[in-house]
Amino acid sequence: MDGGGGGGGGASDAFGSSTAPLAWHDFLERMRHPSAADFVKSIKSFIVSFSNRAPDPEKDSAAVQEFLASMEGAFRAHMLWAGSSEEELESAGEGLEKYVMTKLFNRAFASLPEDVQRDEELFEKMALLQQFIRPENLDIKPQFQNETSWLLAQKELQKINMYKAPRDKLVCILNCCRVINNLLLNVSISSNENPPGADEFLPVLIYVTVKANPPQLHSNLVYIQRYRRQSRLVSEAAYFFTNILSTESFIWSINGEALTMDETEFQKKMESSRAHLLGLSINTEENRNQTTENIIEHSIDTSRSQGESQSQVYVRENKDHEKAEQNASRPPSISDLETKGVADLVKEDELTEYFKEYPYLYASAGDLTVDDVESLLSCYKTLVLKYVSLCKGMGSNASTFLELSIRTDSKLENELASSKIDHYSLDNSSMDVTPNDSLAHRDAKLEILEGHDGKDKGPIKLKGNLSDNSTVAALHHAEHKVTEKQDVIQ
Amino acid sequence: MGCASSFPGKNVGRSGSLNGEQTVANDPKNIRVKLVLLGDSGVGKSCIVLRFVRGQFDPTSKVTVGASFLSQTIALQDSTTVKFEIWDTAGQERYAALAPLYYRGAAVAVVVYDITSPDSFLKAQYWVKELQKHGSPDIVMALVGNKADLHENRKVSAQDAMEYAEKNGMFFIETSAKTADNINQLFEGTGIYLYRNKTQLSWITCNNRPKCRSCICCYEVP
Repeated sequence: MDGGGGGGGGASDAFGSSTAPLAWHDFLERMRHPSAADFVKSIKSFIVSFSNRAPDPEKDSAAVQEFLASMEGAFRAHMLWAGSSEEELESAGEGLEKYVMTKLFNRAFASLPEDVQRDEELFEKMALLQQFIRPENLDIKPQFQNETSWLLAQKELQKINMYKAPRDKLVCILNCCRVINNLLLNVSISSNENPPGADEFLPVLIYVTVKANPPQLHSNLVYIQRYRRQSRLVSEAAYFFTNILSTESFIWSINGEALTMDETEFQKKMESSRAHLLGLSINTEENRNQTTENIIEHSIDTSRSQGESQSQVYVRENKDHEKAEQNASRPPSISDLETKGVADLVKEDELTEYFKEYPYLYASAGDLTVDDVESLLSCYKTLVLKYVSLCKGMGSNASTFLELSIRTDSKLENELASSKIDHYSLDNSSMDVTPNDSLAHRDAKLEILEGHDGKDKGPIKLKGNLSDNSTVAALHHAEHKVTEKQDVIQ
Repeated sequence: MGCASSFPGKNVGRSGSLNGEQTVANDPKNIRVKLVLLGDSGVGKSCIVLRFVRGQFDPTSKVTVGASFLSQTIALQDSTTVKFEIWDTAGQERYAALAPLYYRGAAVAVVVYDITSPDSFLKAQYWVKELQKHGSPDIVMALVGNKADLHENRKVSAQDAMEYAEKNGMFFIETSAKTADNINQLFEGTGIYLYRNKTQLSWITCNNRPKCRSCICCYEVP
């Protein structure tokens, strides 16, 4: 064998982003040329016809892949690229992919309810795992453990939602992998270890991913898989992309055994992480602005002097919450009690027992039917009643938490009995519910706010500030989660 | 990863994925092969690859690169080149279920064990069974007993391993990443095996499959 020399790595060839902006500019320039008019026409018509179809991941992916391939063929035969090198043709293909997918982003990214739901579940699972997972749980050898440096890798991965084009998203993953490889390599050199292979690399990638917990990770991965031109998702890029796919797969399957942990111990840790996040969300006041309406429900165990019975306290966070905070500083305030209750709950072994009788706590808006509205509303009323009474009993003013104009208790009772919901009014406009709001209208509104409609999605920071992961996870957790309006940038 | 600077000027055109596809498609003399490494952690998978790619073992060398993905091109006698794209997998038990994601589409699976560890040999047999069950039926499998330099601690006899390999239609070789014994032979042998068996060229990865009819990896040999 006369060895052909090393083609090792090749990272900078495949993914060097230094030439990318130039290529992009070049593509746009060529498209402005009069002789490119036909190209522009077919691109536009493809975008329009694609946008008008209902989402279907397989068909969508095939349509984009076919379109990109046929256009690349047409570029090759066109005078605009006469005498061009393979590199130039390739970068024209890159430019086309970026253009088309940027235009189709809202329609193609996280456009299926299943994907959105998986995003939420994965996000929550990682938010819980990151509270207690240790490098040892994943077989990361002590000498390779370096959480501070791993932050760099986490940062690279967290950039994934800043981009719309599949290639740009893929580059975030590649950069994250590169940082990890460099760190492992430095350690292996300085500690005389064998060079790091997949035995070292994959566990660190998993750990970094759980800690980074980028929102909508699942949607990002399927988006790259579907819309990154397949002929360019090869070799090293394909290898590291496979690693992040297997990372996702591993995280889904994480249980006690996968972390060399007793299953009951694992469940306990998951539960206490969950309770911890709920607790955090009460105390983290700065984080509220990311949503216009957050409703957080907390079940707390209030053992008050008169009664031993458990009570439900539902906290409604809204713009008026600041006022409540001021009042809450008077001891013993509702929020003090709440904090104490959460702390007590965390210590409970059978945490789930406490939530068993609240069927909607773990439901997402998509699970609900119109028939549920009546019972939900009646539950809501009972809770408000209990809450307001509790507040009254504590000597604090209920309206500081919930600006509700509730008529007399007896009137409310009557209404609960007759279930005549249309007479019940919430006069707070921030709730967006007016006395005349029809149920259908309300449902439709929820649907949109839940983000099932792609148009509501912003490309950047979809779930708020990245540093607020835990709060966001807690929000996810709450039943009415999220009527969040996302910043639409651009 | 900084790999590019470690390999100045060598095969730059072919190492990137940007041209890679065309190179394969336009030139049947250049074959690209996806090779996946399976085996228990600690059997020296990454050392074998580094030895092959870098021709050296010294892990303290500054030019060593991370070895989870590496590629290396070899030339066969008739100037056909075979570019190996080597995919390493994590060998720890907890990651075993992820392996199919890696060996999907691989033309070659190199299953490595450590001749001083009977457990690693059992694990190798597990991988062979997995590949037979879930891998591509065309996949070429090689069984590799590494750490052959530690023969005084040998716990797995070469005879046993060879018999097992034969029974399962595998290519068998004992190597030492430390002394470089048989490392080149492993890859060269695999390359020749792939090349000579042209009737089974569909092993070789091509991302245009199954539609592509123009490249060496997809056309049907009469």
